[in-house]
Amino acid sequence: MKIIYSQLQKFLPDLQVEPKQLRDDLTMIGHFTNFFEEIDNEIVFDLDIKVNRGDCLGYYGLARDLSVYYNLELKPPKSTIYDLRSNYCLPIKVTTDKVKRVIAVKISDLKNTVSPQWLQTFLKCHNTNSINTIVDLTNYIMFLYGIPNHAFDTSKSGQDLIWEINSKFKEFTSLDGSKLILDNKILMINNPQKALSLSFWGGEACAIDSNTNEIIVELAVYDRNTVRQNSRQLKSVTEASVRLEKDLDPEVIPQAFNNLVNLILENCGGQISSQIFDHYPNKTEIPSIEFDPNKASLVSGIEIPQDFAIDCLTRLGCEIKKKASLSRGDVDSSTEGFYIQAPSIRKDISIEADLLEEVIRFWGYQKIPTNQPLVFKEIQDITPKEIYLIEKLKDQLTSLGYDEILSWPLVNSPTDQENVVTTQNSINSEAIYLRQSLTQSLIKQLDQYQRFKLPNPQFFEIGKVFSKEGDNFIEKNALGLYHYNAEQLQSDLKKLDLPLVKEGSREIDNFIEIIIDDLLKIDKYIPQAVNNNAIELTSQIITLDANITLDTKEDPINLIKKYSQIIGDKNLWQLIVTDIYHDTKTNKYRYTFQASYFNLDDKTAKKIHLKSFDLE
Amino acid sequence: MDQNLEKIKTDYQNKISQITTDKDLESIRIELFGRNGLINDLFSKIKDVSPESRKQYGANLNQLKTELEEILKNKSLKVEKADLHSLHNKNNLTTTSLPKIGHLHPITQTERQLNEVFRKLGFSIYNSPEIVTDDFNFTHLNVPQNHPARDMQDTIYIKEPEYLLRTQTSAIEAYLLAQKSKELPLRAAFPGSVFRNEKVNRSNHFVFHQYQAVVVDKNITIKDLIGTMDLMFKTLYGPEVVVRYRSKYYPEVAPGVGPDMQCFSCRGQGCPLCKYAGWIEMGGSGLIHPKVLEMAGIDPKSWSGFAFGMGLDRWTMAQKHIKDIRTLMGGNLAYKPNEL
Repeated sequence: MKIIYSQLQKFLPDLQVEPKQLRDDLTMIGHFTNFFEEIDNEIVFDLDIKVNRGDCLGYYGLARDLSVYYNLELKPPKSTIYDLRSNYCLPIKVTTDKVKRVIAVKISDLKNTVSPQWLQTFLKCHNTNSINTIVDLTNYIMFLYGIPNHAFDTSKSGQDLIWEINSKFKEFTSLDGSKLILDNKILMINNPQKALSLSFWGGEACAIDSNTNEIIVELAVYDRNTVRQNSRQLKSVTEASVRLEKDLDPEVIPQAFNNLVNLILENCGGQISSQIFDHYPNKTEIPSIEFDPNKASLVSGIEIPQDFAIDCLTRLGCEIKKKASLSRGDVDSSTEGFYIQAPSIRKDISIEADLLEEVIRFWGYQKIPTNQPLVFKEIQDITPKEIYLIEKLKDQLTSLGYDEILSWPLVNSPTDQENVVTTQNSINSEAIYLRQSLTQSLIKQLDQYQRFKLPNPQFFEIGKVFSKEGDNFIEKNALGLYHYNAEQLQSDLKKLDLPLVKEGSREIDNFIEIIIDDLLKIDKYIPQAVNNNAIELTSQIITLDANITLDTKEDPINLIKKYSQIIGDKNLWQLIVTDIYHDTKTNKYRYTFQASYFNLDDKTAKKIHLKSFDLE
Repeated sequence: MDQNLEKIKTDYQNKISQITTDKDLESIRIELFGRNGLINDLFSKIKDVSPESRKQYGANLNQLKTELEEILKNKSLKVEKADLHSLHNKNNLTTTSLPKIGHLHPITQTERQLNEVFRKLGFSIYNSPEIVTDDFNFTHLNVPQNHPARDMQDTIYIKEPEYLLRTQTSAIEAYLLAQKSKELPLRAAFPGSVFRNEKVNRSNHFVFHQYQAVVVDKNITIKDLIGTMDLMFKTLYGPEVVVRYRSKYYPEVAPGVGPDMQCFSCRGQGCPLCKYAGWIEMGGSGLIHPKVLEMAGIDPKSWSGFAFGMGLDRWTMAQKHIKDIRTLMGGNLAYKPNEL
């Protein structure tokens, strides 16, 4: 959004900061300002307005923020209408609840001409073409207050305006001549015979021109979801739709409306020839929020005085009521603090956290120290085991000379049509299906490398592969490998020490793919995440063997777990099974263990060893 | 040839026949014909042979030497042919004498750097599915249907409106909070791919990479957030990096904080890279919105937390002087095989 410095000063006459400073300050309080430039002797800022701050899509809302930040008085233009003598009631109808508020009036005996220079310059700075005085003033007021508005030439539109959800008209021609096909869900302003205007875009049928001498001018706020849906459906985005999709404040309409009517009367002559039509069926109640000013310090982590918090909210226009004072003997702290009602223009404030955000941003994030990070805290490790395995595999593969690549997880052809996961709306024809195999991606990568005549390619990728089983979407981590020498690839694979699952791996020439998530019992093959408590060794590690004969075949991992528990954690460095022997004559199994003990003398270690393996 | 020499010949014949590489062949050649090799050793023992047998022994030894040389020569040609065959078939290229060095992808390298920072602070590394429900990607992050914040992200749908490809790593946060709501406190960081429905060109891609960290604990403050983010930026970009923290909006946080890094190209003076702002937006962060905690089943009166996320692609591109975003996930990102 563009903002002209001199126009901002009309709302804040005492604003005198340097443009560079204003740019930085606007940014710090949340309105990212890219740059400022000079256009026709005006300083113009380019801002990104936050999506929840519809109020700042106009000078008025932005000036309110700056008045709090700089502690300056806000002086919006005076906007009382004095010339209200007509008793004529406009025959306007509103037949839909999608209109939150609309105000309209008829002005007659106008003389519409080319806009004055100041208005043309204003619009130029806002990248908007000047049309004529009436049209330009409607745009001017939209930029000033953030409320879109519209003027209808009554010689074309008549006076029987109807705000309705379209049910009659099939086509609409906009002000720029675009022809749009309508359906039954479009919020429109029509008359009984013609489609006149969309909620966010005026129509050719009632356009203001140099011959216009009578208008109905209206300002309205609509149900924002309806405008948003209509805008998307008709693939049309306008300055008005951008604003009307936000949560705008119907309470701002009278001020903006009066300002517009006065400007039209001043610049085009004429007179008001109807009563003011004001449709405002459901005034929104502003919630009362419990607020504890102490929390500004608790949440920010730095001291923010309570007085500042209350003063800041007061300057924002909040209504502040202290909670009932403590009754005698009542120590309930919940009776401390305040009830706050945000100004109606601030639709983004609905809970205490929003109020705290206001206080903290005006106090200044730059006052919060940057050198106090969280300190280490021992918390349960929830890292999924496959992440450790993937890290380990990547290290092993790079040490074997493989380069890691990343490829597109969306591809243009399925390998298995039946189970492929398909995107519904991808705008890239080369990226429609979620890949079912990494080999598919690796082959593409190899083609590219060969195109570049890259010598001896040797690379891998670890990424997701996708499939569908009924209504369920399946995604698994996979490892894909390519080596220009197929024998070397096989040899390297052995070095990875992976328990391969045949069903999960596939080999094509020099490619190998392994579905990591299908590896049996992943936890057996990866180091468990532990807090690396350092051990001070005070004597040599003692390693002793033990043979255990069992009647049945046992899982060696379970045996290691069992005997580790028996030996105890205190002095056991490591326990491994070095040999398993099946005596076919006796049909017994002999397991050879190698136990290493630390910080024990020989005698004690041997004693523990014999006892633990029941060898005494 | 006597029996001993015959056996030596047979043994080495077998050994040589199993060799597949030049390197192994060279080892055998040295073993046989090196200064301290077997053949020299056998010749040095001629003096120990009886005078009447010495002549025959010498002849046999010479025969053995010639035969082994022949065997080696033939094998050498085969190995060379095999190597060439392999190279020509696969690549039509030559070999290098230095060992190949493998590389992690630059995105992985950055992720590793960040993981290290966070692990030192007691964070786990986490991940979640890339196909997510609308709930995890939007609703549980305080972005209900028709919320204008949805316009910030063009979504690729798998089955509209329920299933989609996650558009942000915050979806992992929502999933994580729901999974671990009863196992607090919580510290987790997660690198992840995210998807947006954008046309692929030099500047835009439908898939890119983000890094996010989440903390849920008692009495978490903005000071904790800013301090931790600053530590992260200094680890990535060096101690001299200048970062400012300002108010920013994201629906899943309140208050929201935006870190901007002083433009490394113009040092804050304004240039085309930073769109003349002098600063580059580095991501988003804030205290986790009370509604997000509530939707995960966490009581916001007892617990608070922070979250922040940043994109990795732009930074990686700047670091590696990559001008086309497609390079990061395409065939023209390569590595020197040897670095001296």
